[in-house]
Amino acid sequence: MSTTLETVSRLIIEVMSNDPLEPITAETSFGDDLELESIELVALAEKVQAEYGDKVNFADWLSQKELDELIHLKVGELVELIDSCLAAESDA
Amino acid sequence: MAEIEARGVRFHYQRLGSGQEKVVFLHGFVWDNLSSWYFSVASSVAAKAQVLLYDLRGHGKSERPATGYTLDDMVADLDAMLDATGFGDRPVHLVGNSFGGLLALAYAIAHPERVASMVLVDAHTADETWNEDIRSTLESQGHERDHMIIQAFNEWAGRHNDPRNTRLAKAAEQLIKETSLLEEITRSRIFTDRELARITCPVLAMYGEHSDIRHKGERLAARLPDCTLQIITGGSHVILWEATATLRERVQSWVAEHASPAVEAQTSGD
Repeated sequence: MSTTLETVSRLIIEVMSNDPLEPITAETSFGDDLELESIELVALAEKVQAEYGDKVNFADWLSQKELDELIHLKVGELVELIDSCLAAESDA
Repeated sequence: MAEIEARGVRFHYQRLGSGQEKVVFLHGFVWDNLSSWYFSVASSVAAKAQVLLYDLRGHGKSERPATGYTLDDMVADLDAMLDATGFGDRPVHLVGNSFGGLLALAYAIAHPERVASMVLVDAHTADETWNEDIRSTLESQGHERDHMIIQAFNEWAGRHNDPRNTRLAKAAEQLIKETSLLEEITRSRIFTDRELARITCPVLAMYGEHSDIRHKGERLAARLPDCTLQIITGGSHVILWEATATLRERVQSWVAEHASPAVEAQTSGD
């Protein structure tokens, strides 16, 4: 079974037009390292929604961030968000 | 990816939010796509309203046909999108940035019954010089072109980030070279006073104090029947990025203040 990081990495590679040059880790930054274009981040939000359903609202979470934060966002932050939403779900 | 076909073209779109009011965001031409609205204002507006964003033909992740880029085509695309998605079952609020504002105006002239209100953000308009303005904008090269990209995406494009600038620049170049966008858009007519008078819905026009098209906004506001002009102090053309928080708040309050009238059964001209 994939870890959250593995799932997120797969989704990222699906939205990118070019493959990342280095392996994706929790420290990988969407903007600085992956050079994700903003439209690709929109596509990623949609894939996260499709993968996790209503349990994780990535789009909502993104909308509360300032642009500066978005540019430096790290993959690990998304992984943490997903994990905490899933944990909250299973605790409920 | 959320895609839908309208007028034989595949469009990428995003639907967000819930609520009574319906808001459609329109991005600018060539260097822009739905992400600029998505990350600035749209997601916040989606907290209280239904939101539709889509990539115009040739832009973002929508299909890029070789032709069909006249203003009338873009208007027809928007009309078809409202039908195809079902989003236009009641009058919508249009929010347009730059050339997206021009599209909003053209749409409201053609289909006033489908527009509840409009917000124009440093919007272009079809006045006497706009054919030349748009041509010189779209033909920008080198530093000027890079500046346009940065205008569309602010820091996202990355001051230090050449590969991404290059990708965006390349996509823009392809759009200009491989389609008839430049030729078709610059053939468009000018809005007459009579046409502008058809836009009876409330309009909010926001312009940057130092925007190079501020004077156009002022003239436009004077000619529209019901237009409030708001000048953003210290702003340039890209108030979308310079005054994002202000815009978020203003668009939210505007939509709330201009809730759609209840829709009786309409015979929509059939």
